[in-house]
Amino acid sequence: MNKIFKLAMLSTTATALLLSAVQAQETVVWWDFLGGGDGVRMKSLIERFNTEHEGEITIEGTTLEWGTPFYSKVQTSSAIGEGPDVMTYHLSRVPLGVDSGALAEISTDDLAAVGLGADTFASANWEAGQSDGKQYAVPFDIHSIVLYYNKDKLAEAGLLGEDGKPTGLDGADNFMAALEQLQPNSEYALSLQTSGDGTPWRVFYSLFGQQDGVFLGEDGTFLPDDSIPKAVSAVETMASWVEGGFAPALTEYEGSVALFTSGAAALHMNGVWEVPTMTDLAAKGDLGFEWGAIAIPTFFDHPATWADSHGFAIPSNGGKEMTPEKKAAVFEVIAWMNKNSLAWADAGHIPAYSPTRDSEEFKTMEPNATYSVLADTAVFDPKSTLAGVASPVYDAVANYIAPAMNGEMSPQDAIDEMKADLQDQAD
Amino acid sequence: MSTVESRAATLDSGATTRRSRANKAFDIGGLILTLITVIFAVLWAFPIYWALITTLKPEQQAIAKTVEFLPRTWTVEAYWHVLVNTMIGRWYINSLVTSLAVTVITLVTSALTAYALSQLRFPGRTVLWYLILASFMVPLTALIVNHFILMAQFSLINTWMGVVLPQLIHPVVIIVYKNFFDSVPKEYREAAKMDSAGEFQIFRRIYLPMNWGVTTALAIVTFIGAWNAFLWPFLAVSRPEMMNVAVGITSVNDAFGVQYARELAGAILAALLVAVLYLIFQRRVTQAIMLSAGVKG
Amino acid sequence: MLRNHRQEMVVALLFVLPFVLIYGVLFLWPTFQMVYLSFTDAPLIGPGEWIGIENYVEMFDDRRFWTSVRNTAYFVVLTVIPNTLIGLVIAMMVSRLKGWQQSLILAMFFLPYILPVTVVYRIWNWMFNVQFGIMQYPLTWIFGKATPVFRTQWMFMPAVAFVTVWWTCGFNILLFLSGLRSISTDIYEAAALDNASRWTIFRRITWPLIWPVTALVLTIQLILQLKIFDQVYLFVQGGRPDPSMVMVQYIYSQAFQKNEGGYAAAISVALFVIVIVFSILQFQVLRGRGQK
Repeated sequence: MNKIFKLAMLSTTATALLLSAVQAQETVVWWDFLGGGDGVRMKSLIERFNTEHEGEITIEGTTLEWGTPFYSKVQTSSAIGEGPDVMTYHLSRVPLGVDSGALAEISTDDLAAVGLGADTFASANWEAGQSDGKQYAVPFDIHSIVLYYNKDKLAEAGLLGEDGKPTGLDGADNFMAALEQLQPNSEYALSLQTSGDGTPWRVFYSLFGQQDGVFLGEDGTFLPDDSIPKAVSAVETMASWVEGGFAPALTEYEGSVALFTSGAAALHMNGVWEVPTMTDLAAKGDLGFEWGAIAIPTFFDHPATWADSHGFAIPSNGGKEMTPEKKAAVFEVIAWMNKNSLAWADAGHIPAYSPTRDSEEFKTMEPNATYSVLADTAVFDPKSTLAGVASPVYDAVANYIAPAMNGEMSPQDAIDEMKADLQDQAD
Repeated sequence: MSTVESRAATLDSGATTRRSRANKAFDIGGLILTLITVIFAVLWAFPIYWALITTLKPEQQAIAKTVEFLPRTWTVEAYWHVLVNTMIGRWYINSLVTSLAVTVITLVTSALTAYALSQLRFPGRTVLWYLILASFMVPLTALIVNHFILMAQFSLINTWMGVVLPQLIHPVVIIVYKNFFDSVPKEYREAAKMDSAGEFQIFRRIYLPMNWGVTTALAIVTFIGAWNAFLWPFLAVSRPEMMNVAVGITSVNDAFGVQYARELAGAILAALLVAVLYLIFQRRVTQAIMLSAGVKG
Repeated sequence: MLRNHRQEMVVALLFVLPFVLIYGVLFLWPTFQMVYLSFTDAPLIGPGEWIGIENYVEMFDDRRFWTSVRNTAYFVVLTVIPNTLIGLVIAMMVSRLKGWQQSLILAMFFLPYILPVTVVYRIWNWMFNVQFGIMQYPLTWIFGKATPVFRTQWMFMPAVAFVTVWWTCGFNILLFLSGLRSISTDIYEAAALDNASRWTIFRRITWPLIWPVTALVLTIQLILQLKIFDQVYLFVQGGRPDPSMVMVQYIYSQAFQKNEGGYAAAISVALFVIVIVFSILQFQVLRGRGQK
């Protein structure tokens, strides 16, 4: 007992000392939600920033639970002026964030002063941070989902080409045949999160995009009539993996990662942000197999993969103005992170900052180079106050698509109910 | 305390006599019942044991596919990780300060009010008493929205005060205190009055000391309640450094990859203080809960 | 004499003042504000416009609201009676023991009660973990395969109720134990002389005499469980939020996630009314039975 008290006292005294020492410099309170493999990379980026800015700026970073818990905290804190100074934010959520008043406008002059602007990012990426022509978020990356594979298992099943890359996975039927070949040597041929709102949405939206499905029509209709069959076949495809016993039912995010890293699953669909998990495990010799990652196969008409972006945003904090010194520090943080985003590419992401993305180092970086084609075929979430991370659309995925993946609901019913639910909330 | 114990003792001896007078089959029945009780108790406590044991294993052993009731390799690495990488020390202090504040303020204000209700005559006495009785069944949880708005207006979000204030409504404490003050013989008060002692002195010198047992009991119960509170501290705090330990361990992400042992180590640490206090003062806590509830009925 | 009375009054008012202040500012005022807010379209923070009973009209039409009412009721059914009965059974088992044996066994049953809910959540999430949880052994034996209980819709509420009983039963055990101790041993003596069976003794003596405690436990449980939030909120993370939504959770999500302060207040009023009505009803019913 005593020991714990001492530790507790020690840590507070340490914090107090630190706080008094940095009075002269700016402290930037930073919140993120990077709890995946990329979180480790962000932690060291922050450490690097702090060392390079010793005596000037210190980032005080905290990682909160991804998704709804994060955005609920941000929204309420921002409304009463208790939000952080800067935070990571999904560009898909910018319309919703602006609509609920959680975000402060970012002046392009301030950005230009630190060397950022429309010309340093891809235009679609840059514009995703806007609402009504005003900038609310600065892009940091583009990220997507990929197919991780266990080389040893694929080789055994004869699914590895001469170049060491998987072959014969394109097309829903071929993919199913591949799963059947892989299943005998694995607990699961394919592991993916099959519960909740993350992966189910990303995979669904990719398969839906491969058929040119329209999620939100120009007239504000969710899933217009001719897109319904496309949505249904996307869900049917996903459900067939679970139904056939190739993918685990009702499995959470962490569990799906563990299934792959422990060698129990041959394939794994997940975001690029788990690349560091694999790299680090492999480097420590704890992985036990050779791994790789490729773009999500084409199941339908043409390649397409869901994508979103992390960006930086400043909470409106109930209209509370930052001091000029604090503001300068925040912009320095945003600019520094972008200019050093090669390290972020190491976390699996595609850097938003064009100079980094165009650099030779990035272009030859593996496995990013293997799946970088997906940038050309990316489909982004619909721009709507009902869409984006922790939005009604994400909730609907957890409520309808995930159950349908697990056979608790027919795909047709799931899509019909999802459409009705979303339309209801839109009106 | 002694009455409860002696009662229990007589009850036990009664049971023994009863058993000795009955036939032998009866005894076997009793033995089986005891055995079932023990098995049931072990099963009941098992999850806590299992969590504890898991935290003392390396992560890779924690997720081993075999059941190991003792770690193959003992390690405190998970605890070390939590202590070094989270603000758990800070959270502990937040929990301690806010729980103690809730306990002290609740007890002081409630004891004073109960004394006035029990011993003094003043306008509005009956109304106040009925209000208190009625609020016993009111769900404070329904007020979260307005508590939040109120605390935001006072700029108390992310402060200790903001966590404490809405947790101060405990009508039960007044009800229990009043019952005990009612049963203090009037003669004490009369005698003190003769010595021209003021009401506050009577309260402090006679009524409080005569009911230290009740105070301890109520303090224990209130403290456990405040220490374990989740919903309000969860809403009232968004800054990690102001969270209490129960909220902090599930809101802040400090580890990546396989982390079951670490997550559980955080949980064990969060529970540790109250658990150890309970095991030391087991008898007192048991009585406290019996006392605080027994009177309510 | 008159001066004395006045003095007493002033002293009394000073004594009750701190509590009355707290009570007024933190209970009566927010309650009043809640009712007012429920007639506006205000966001969580900031002013709104008076819209009359529109929120209530919307509420009666709101599928999610009714789901949350149903789920709350379901949770109450799943916890209140089992928690009371299990508490009584364990208390009777424990009361047969004596001395350190009783203390030890009682501690084993009571320990969960002093854990914070997040700790309970972590422990049971680990116990039931679909890949590594030790509970998967019995579950696999029953269902033939590993079962994600907190993700399987029909199991969710029963599983949360099960965890809740495990967590909070210790409190009920203590109340019953103190009730059992106050039953005079003479009555048992007499029954033993009549060679009455255990069951008869329970039915004829223990149950009627313990009834006031049972009524108390039922009342406390009912009020407590209607306010269910913590466990459902924690265990549903990463699952299907809507089908298992309970009332306080819906208040939370409307106010703190959807920024609908006025609507959240309307649901709060509904919860308020439901709890009070049920408490009064139950109080009447239990008192009626107790007097029989």
